[in-house]
Amino acid sequence: MTPRRHLLTAGAVWLVLSVVGVLLVAGIQIIPVIASREAEIENGAFVLLTAASVPILMLVVVGLAYTAIRFRATDDIGDGPPIHGHVGVQAAWVGISLLLVIGLFAYGAIGLVDIRGAQSADFEVNVSAEQWEWKFEYPATGVKSKELHIPVDRRVHLNIESIDVIHSFWVPALGVKQDAVPGRPTHIYTTATDIGTYPGMCAELCGLGHTGMTMTVVVSDQAALDAWLTQQPKGLPGSPGPHGSPGPTP
Amino acid sequence: MVTAPGLRRAVIGAAVGFAVGGGLVTTVLQGDLGQIFGLGYILALLGFLLGIGAFRFWLTWAAGREIDAAEEHAAHGRAGDWRRYFRFTTDHKVIGVQYLVTAFVLFFTAGTAAMFMRFELAQPGIATSKDIYNTVMSTHGAMMITVALVSIIGGLGNYLVPLMVGARDMAFPKANALSYWMLPLAILLVAINPLLGGFDTGWTAYPPLSQQANLGQQAYLMAFVTVGISSILSAINFLVTVFRMRAPGMSLMRMPIFVWALTVTATLALVATSVVAMAFTMLLFDRLLGTSFFRASRGGDVILFQHLFWFYSHPAVYIMALPGLGAILEIVPVFARKPLFAYPLAVLMFVSIGVMSFMVWAHHMFVSGMAEFFHIPIMLTTELISVPTGIVFLSALGTIWMGRIQFTVPMLWVFGFLWAFLIGGITGVFLADVPTDITLSDTYFVVAHFHYTIVGGTIFGLFAGTYYWFPKITGRMYDERLGRLHFWWFTLAFNATFIPMFWLGIEGMRRRVADYPAGFGTVNLFISFAALNIALSVAVFAFNMVRSWRRGPQAAPNPWRAQTLEWQTASPPPIANFDQIPTVTDTPYQYGHPGAAPGSLGAAPARRLRP
Repeated sequence: MTPRRHLLTAGAVWLVLSVVGVLLVAGIQIIPVIASREAEIENGAFVLLTAASVPILMLVVVGLAYTAIRFRATDDIGDGPPIHGHVGVQAAWVGISLLLVIGLFAYGAIGLVDIRGAQSADFEVNVSAEQWEWKFEYPATGVKSKELHIPVDRRVHLNIESIDVIHSFWVPALGVKQDAVPGRPTHIYTTATDIGTYPGMCAELCGLGHTGMTMTVVVSDQAALDAWLTQQPKGLPGSPGPHGSPGPTP
Repeated sequence: MVTAPGLRRAVIGAAVGFAVGGGLVTTVLQGDLGQIFGLGYILALLGFLLGIGAFRFWLTWAAGREIDAAEEHAAHGRAGDWRRYFRFTTDHKVIGVQYLVTAFVLFFTAGTAAMFMRFELAQPGIATSKDIYNTVMSTHGAMMITVALVSIIGGLGNYLVPLMVGARDMAFPKANALSYWMLPLAILLVAINPLLGGFDTGWTAYPPLSQQANLGQQAYLMAFVTVGISSILSAINFLVTVFRMRAPGMSLMRMPIFVWALTVTATLALVATSVVAMAFTMLLFDRLLGTSFFRASRGGDVILFQHLFWFYSHPAVYIMALPGLGAILEIVPVFARKPLFAYPLAVLMFVSIGVMSFMVWAHHMFVSGMAEFFHIPIMLTTELISVPTGIVFLSALGTIWMGRIQFTVPMLWVFGFLWAFLIGGITGVFLADVPTDITLSDTYFVVAHFHYTIVGGTIFGLFAGTYYWFPKITGRMYDERLGRLHFWWFTLAFNATFIPMFWLGIEGMRRRVADYPAGFGTVNLFISFAALNIALSVAVFAFNMVRSWRRGPQAAPNPWRAQTLEWQTASPPPIANFDQIPTVTDTPYQYGHPGAAPGSLGAAPARRLRP
């Protein structure tokens, strides 16, 4: 076979596999539970990146497999053709990978801006982490709890602080993850879209009890949330927390 | 014999040093346990190095006495004397073997720690204890990072760079031996940290957790700083060797690609290591001297530590990966029997990765609470670095395409590398992209990703290189069938272990946990079983290496018909490497050119090295 025929055969295999692969991943849900606007955006980014990586994966895999099958030496005497490079191929490789990367970056940057959204919220919660438990305070009502309750379809603002070491506030279904840093309050927004109860946990190694530092997040409609808030005693009995009330953030 | 420098004297020196340091702090300064241990370790290290004889020539010179030429010659080591491997020996080939064997011993130890982790994680629930799990997990990380940092550049690099550039030794043989002998005590310290209470922060040692943790944590920090100093010393040595001691005719653009990779690696190590050594020292000061660099309660900043740590530790990822990439690109042309495709672009790739690796560190901190505007530029630089990194695939694929592929054991590892490093690279883009990183950060997806990059990049490269250069280093051939068994067993088990971890991470399993929801039980049991197979396959490797070194068949000087300089001398090379220093006329990748084996060498009379 001529070099051109080799290239065409391998190229055809690559094209078929790439198209099949992209069709397979297009439109699937990758993040297992999606219950917020943020998680939806993240899933979209995930699908796009997966689709974009299929042709790259196939390029190398087909290249390796084709070589292993067709260019295997039958003896160990001779050499291959003395090709040191090819300006066109090299330029195309660098150019295409540069374009691809800039495209993915632009998509990622748009997604990030989208996730951050406006700096305004309908509902405020103060989150406090310490070894090894989560505490939540609802500044509008002064209620404190160990479960996080938030309204559906409302933009929720979470002010996160840590009492001792670094923790990380993570609720997979809501697509939010933010470290809780001692001496440096952080914050995050989320808009839940589905009513339900979701697990949350500490994602940053924080010592002996890290594994068990979990929480429950309840997303309910505003009426149910209000009912729940009025039922709660003001402040958790027996555990006011070392810092007391962090107070609402401006 | 205690009167001669050697291991026995070194151990006594270390004990005396520890007693003096610890005693001083106890009696004069009335310090606490951490401070006693701190000064004790520093003086123990000094005592160890004095005892092994690391400073004796410099001390003799400083005292104004004549250095005994016979003794200096003896320190270089005699061929065939196994005891030289346990002494302060200045021959770069001995030091290379010392590094390589040390790295493999450490690899086996840290692998055993991984087996313990997979035992705990095989089923949901706690089988041992969370405290032990955290310590074993942290120790596994700390040791494997050391393996990845020193194995190729310290082991294969020390052995091969002088040979590949046509020099008789490294530029500073005594400093070279010193950089090796700083390691044993530091490694021992990491290994015994469980006896000191262990440490539970992982290798990243983020404060404030690392300020709470006990003496085992301090041991790790001090050991890491020691490894850092050794690494800087070694980097200077590599750079001077490469830039001042190349054979006549070997211009920079005629250097073997492996040497180029190590040159960039050494530059990174030289520039970046001092930053992490400083960050760890500041952490030690916080613990021992009452400073507050990272104490939030007293105005310190814990995010500052992360910036300093990753400013080194991301370039460190390339300190680990570039030597592997270099080894792979060195091996590809030999078994494809074709010139290295796009050699100048590959050189440019190493240099630009080196430069760009300093601009991407903060992608480890997308959810850390660092300055918000910083996410976007770091996302850009992180994704841009995949352009030069992708060139390793261009070079490798371009070389094997239309080649005459010989599937020797090293070439199998090259193919394995290209698969594993590709998966590592592609999944890296998901972590560079902030929207996906928010959900993936701190999950098993990250664990799978960095094992694909570091095992894929470094360990596959290390295995490829070890098999490829085994005949040169030992003068014997390894067992081909055991080598193939090792490759297939390891590669299948490796993929079976880490592919499911991507899924676990997406499903929400956090990294660094001793327990997980019951739903992940079956997958974790499968992973633990696959991981055990990695260990078994590595046992085959160890058996093959030890047995073949002792009684493998004699290897010819150039069994692979390779064109780089190290193959143009005996196997193993004589003490002075070459009978006469060769003259170089072209790159060592002239395969396929008629009459070009080894075409890059001109037959020139003996010449002195460049001044």
